[in-house]
Amino acid sequence: MLQLLLNALALGASYALLALGFVLILNATSAVNFAHGDVVMLGGYTAIALHALLQWPGAFLLPLVLAVMALLGLVFSLGAYFPLKDRPPVSVFISTIALGIVFQNATNAIAGAEPRKGPALFGEGQVNFGNVAIGEQAMAIIGAAALLIAGQHLLFRYTGLGRRLRATAQDRQMAEAVGISVNRMIGLTFAIGAGLAGAAGLMLANTFFASPTDGSNYILKAYIAVTIGGWGNLYGAVCGAMFIALFEVLYPSLPILVPLLKSTTPWLFSQTMSSILLYVGLLAIMFFRPQGLFGEAIQKRV
Amino acid sequence: MSPSHCLRRVGTGLCVALLSSSALSQAEIGLPVLVPVTGFLSLEGTSQRNGALLAIRNAPNSIKISAPVTDTGASPEGASTALERALARGKVTAVVASMLGPQMLAMMPIALENKVPLATVSGTADLTERKNPYVFRFFPGDATAKAAHVRYVVEDMQKKRIALVYQTTAYGQGGRAQIVEQLKKAGLAPVMEEALEVQVKDMSAVIGKVQQSNPDVVMLHLHGGPSALFLKQAAASRITVPIITGSALGQPSTAALLEPAELKNVCAETNAAPIASGNGPEMEEFTQKFRAEFKTEPDGFAVGQYDAVGMILDAVQKGATTPEAVTRYLSSGSYQGLAMKYKSDGKGNMAHSAIIICYDGNSRVPKIAKRYN
Amino acid sequence: MKRLLSWLGIDVRAPLLAGAVGLAIWPFLFTSNYDLRVFTIVGIYAMLALGFQLIFGHAGALALTQGCFFGVGAYVTGILATRFGLSGELTLLLSALIPVLLAIVIAAPVLRLESHYFALATLGIGQVMLLIAIAWQDVTGGSNGLAGIPPMRLFGVEFGKGYGILGLVWVFVIAGAWASHRITRGLYGAALCVARENPVAAQSIGIDTSALRYATFLLSALYAGIAGAMYAHTVRVVSVEALEFPIMVACLTIAVVGGRTHIAGAILGAVLVVNLPEWFRDLEKTYLIAYGMALLAMIIIAPDGLIGLMQRLRTRWFGAPAPVLPQNAQRPAQNSNAGAAQTQTPPRDTRLARIPKGEPLLTIEGVTKRFGGLTALSSVSMQVHPGEIFGLIGPNGSGKTTLINIVSGAYTGDAGKVMLVGTPLSGQASFQIARSGVARTFQNVNLVDDLSVIDNVAVARFGAEQAALGDAFTPGRSGRAWHNARDCALRLLEAFDIQALADQPAGSLAYGIKRKVEIARALALDPMLLLLDEPAAGLNEAEQLDLAQRLRRFSDCGLSVLVIEHNMPFLMPLVDRVACLDRGEVIAMGLPEDVRNSTQVITAYLGAPDTGAAPPIRDAALAHTS
Repeated sequence: MLQLLLNALALGASYALLALGFVLILNATSAVNFAHGDVVMLGGYTAIALHALLQWPGAFLLPLVLAVMALLGLVFSLGAYFPLKDRPPVSVFISTIALGIVFQNATNAIAGAEPRKGPALFGEGQVNFGNVAIGEQAMAIIGAAALLIAGQHLLFRYTGLGRRLRATAQDRQMAEAVGISVNRMIGLTFAIGAGLAGAAGLMLANTFFASPTDGSNYILKAYIAVTIGGWGNLYGAVCGAMFIALFEVLYPSLPILVPLLKSTTPWLFSQTMSSILLYVGLLAIMFFRPQGLFGEAIQKRV
Repeated sequence: MSPSHCLRRVGTGLCVALLSSSALSQAEIGLPVLVPVTGFLSLEGTSQRNGALLAIRNAPNSIKISAPVTDTGASPEGASTALERALARGKVTAVVASMLGPQMLAMMPIALENKVPLATVSGTADLTERKNPYVFRFFPGDATAKAAHVRYVVEDMQKKRIALVYQTTAYGQGGRAQIVEQLKKAGLAPVMEEALEVQVKDMSAVIGKVQQSNPDVVMLHLHGGPSALFLKQAAASRITVPIITGSALGQPSTAALLEPAELKNVCAETNAAPIASGNGPEMEEFTQKFRAEFKTEPDGFAVGQYDAVGMILDAVQKGATTPEAVTRYLSSGSYQGLAMKYKSDGKGNMAHSAIIICYDGNSRVPKIAKRYN
Repeated sequence: MKRLLSWLGIDVRAPLLAGAVGLAIWPFLFTSNYDLRVFTIVGIYAMLALGFQLIFGHAGALALTQGCFFGVGAYVTGILATRFGLSGELTLLLSALIPVLLAIVIAAPVLRLESHYFALATLGIGQVMLLIAIAWQDVTGGSNGLAGIPPMRLFGVEFGKGYGILGLVWVFVIAGAWASHRITRGLYGAALCVARENPVAAQSIGIDTSALRYATFLLSALYAGIAGAMYAHTVRVVSVEALEFPIMVACLTIAVVGGRTHIAGAILGAVLVVNLPEWFRDLEKTYLIAYGMALLAMIIIAPDGLIGLMQRLRTRWFGAPAPVLPQNAQRPAQNSNAGAAQTQTPPRDTRLARIPKGEPLLTIEGVTKRFGGLTALSSVSMQVHPGEIFGLIGPNGSGKTTLINIVSGAYTGDAGKVMLVGTPLSGQASFQIARSGVARTFQNVNLVDDLSVIDNVAVARFGAEQAALGDAFTPGRSGRAWHNARDCALRLLEAFDIQALADQPAGSLAYGIKRKVEIARALALDPMLLLLDEPAAGLNEAEQLDLAQRLRRFSDCGLSVLVIEHNMPFLMPLVDRVACLDRGEVIAMGLPEDVRNSTQVITAYLGAPDTGAAPPIRDAALAHTS
């Protein structure tokens, strides 16, 4: 049981990393970036390419990957967001879908379709605590997720830059009126978001391998996490991510944990059923509490 | 234009005509390659493509081959459209066809109508049960392959408690059906079964269930990436029983994802493993040429497709230059390829042997442990 | 000849006509099996996109279930044809109906969600159906799918490979296009437009936006189911790819590339989206990159799709097409059918006559409203009598707009009740309240900018004309209803002296004119009670005087008016009685002079006398209320 919880924690940290960059861009622009998962995938491939070139361990490659991906984020915003910022949000939805297709297929064309393993942050061994084991990489992911979440919190709460970013996210016209360079803030948000995605990609590429088609799965997880947690709420997104991971690991494990259930029909607690139930649960949450677990119910001003 | 100029042009034209008529003694065939190079099967499709192209590029000069490569994508409609396109664009003598089951099923009626043979490396059992005389598979069908898979586990390893983990894709579901049937023939049933989607990354729950069922062997029938993930996480969870996988591990790219220690006690069933030790010199040569041409390691699918094209070219050399003639040759003739000897069983199954390769935990190069014919 | 040319020139008709002719001869020019197959697939996707345009383009909801309905339609045909051997007519019927049934089941919980939640919910439903199809191998064949689907056979006629199935598919496309055209014309179509662009305004003029969404959602499922059935008979194999996301992406791309509301756009988009990968296919691996880049370029350059782009270019080069005004512009009240409004003032005598003498028209009793921790209204009570102009004043944040929102049904009160004569209004939806005779305007003018002035007003006749989906298919009904509505609208515009601007897009007008249009629209409901939220804001003195005079004239004919205002010189001479709210409570009510001189009112506005202290800040904006 403890082992399963630890695994779920590591998985949840991975999903939280996915959701972080997604939520950031969502807040700043109200735009759903459907290519976010593919950006994560690109981060993984960047890490793999840099590792092949420089042979450094993952921890040293991380700042490089952050820088490269931040640049990519900026370019991305120029292509997918800025030309469409005054149009209805669905336009950005579509433009990001288009760029996602481009990223997926460009990676397939350049690097080939086979899955690849990325460099570990530190080591790839296992650490034992009694009769539970946790991988070094898993611990690194949990640590990194915690650090990045804390870092984001500090940035937004306590720095001037963070205040300006928040102002832009909340009310763009007012921010412009008080002299904030809104375009620069938005570009910066995309850069940070892509950087976070890149970090996620680097870490996931080692634990779960990287292949060009990973993006579609990642974006679904991020989208669900953010909706469960409360649209636009950073901590809600993290909680949503943990919730998904816990459900994905624990639900199919129920026959192991609860001996009574051992003899039930296998499909009831199968991995497929857990996916179905996750979606059903998502629909239920959206029906009964559409603002998510942590969102506020905001009445529209008429 | 002056008359001498005219004459010169006519003269050149005559020369060209004479030369090309001598070239007409070359055989000309059309061999479109219709495989998935994008989408979730692009790895296998690219293997098909590379194997076919290598055979085509090494073909004897007396055969002129037109072999356009077209992506079939992931959906059956993509494949049927690609086939219609190839048929409309020029002469088609035979087709290198996608290994995705539903795509083959969509192409088969078109092949029947146009009387062109399809050469594939798909294992989906159903293909040869549809009484379509134009399907030829150069890969052991699920019935043969899974029979080998099961035989190794039951007869050679003497295992009785089998845990089975398979993919929810066509490949996975088809293979599972065959495995269960073969086990039934041996009087056994799996003590545990679980299906996984391709996107599942964390396999704690499945591994936990496997451990709970207390098996003495684990049979995997997953695609490359998920196989590697399972093996990696199983090693971390200290699963000590042997794990026998399907052909996915025969793809070198899959083994490359794992540390040699994670491959200890792991074997795989496949049609051919060109990089394994224990292959003959021709396979060695093939592997070298493949590496040089495509900068990547060949796998069983590439070998199978290479042999398929080899047999087609063999047919052409022996005078079969029309689709019907090639079909007749494929149905009745036999061919010694790199992986095995191919001969149709009357339904289009050409490959009847499979091998088991095993890893010793010290390197990523497997050894051939057993061959079934 | 000139007439023919000008007819061709209207609304990009010439290129569209050329396109239609091109489409008709295409399958006879390109006749290989491959070309016919591609053309058939184009038709299937066009059908899918036509349905999608109804829910996405017209109703404005990003429903990602379209691919799922398509897959369900395909599977129904596949399963019933291969496992049960049912005939073509039956499988087609069921393929069309079962997605609609599915839509009915999921509509209730899902349709009321806001945009991105709705998109995710529909995406989730699609995923669930996909997982079920994969897992339920006994029925669906699992990932291997079902093969050997027979060719389509309807009433003994086989529609086989090549021209057979092609013809059948395109017959459906043409029928679908015609149906779509009929549905989105006239009053129903205008209502769809308003419901999409400004749902709050739509509700306030009696349009049931959820019913519209529901209807278009079911229709989209119908189109998708038929397209799926055709797909199964064309490809002859059904597997889980029919339920996967790429089909939804293709459908969305077609709608965006072609134009969200243009029928020709669905077909043009389908031609491009199906053929582009084919044209690029020689590029092997990289053709999808080209496809993605093309899609990105399209969404940036042509947001209304290609058809929209053509229309814009046409306007730029040839000028906008001449508007068509109602015929009876100059002759009032002659050809009007039953229910049309009369010249200057809306008649409501029959309803007013039913009110017993002395009974109030509107009764507000003990209404309380809380937003989280803030009490916006606390036990507010007042009455408005027939023919009375009642003023509502109070400092910012005192709850005036909240009160109007509760009366009009935009908000639900936490306690108390609101009655219109004898019938309770509390708990009714705002569109029902609008139809029972309560019209309103908004603090920020809520018109649809792209619609013309006359159309903005005409659409308020939706309830009165009892416009419904069926009108599209009853000969003449749709045209007549729209004609009546525009007739009535024109007369109302005349009442405000703005009929000259009838065909201008509402977004281009001056603020004062927009105000008048909004009031005219409210009056088009033929209400008994008119709720005005700061109507004088932004008007100059002459306009204010004009407005006051008109309101007086309307009330003389029996209309009751409840006016929120800050502008005392405008309000006080106008009203019969006035109430003052402060922090959610009524602090004064009665004749204008009495209220104006009441010390509490003065304190509320200006602060306590002689203290020199600044009035406390009542910033309700901090608490997300109004």
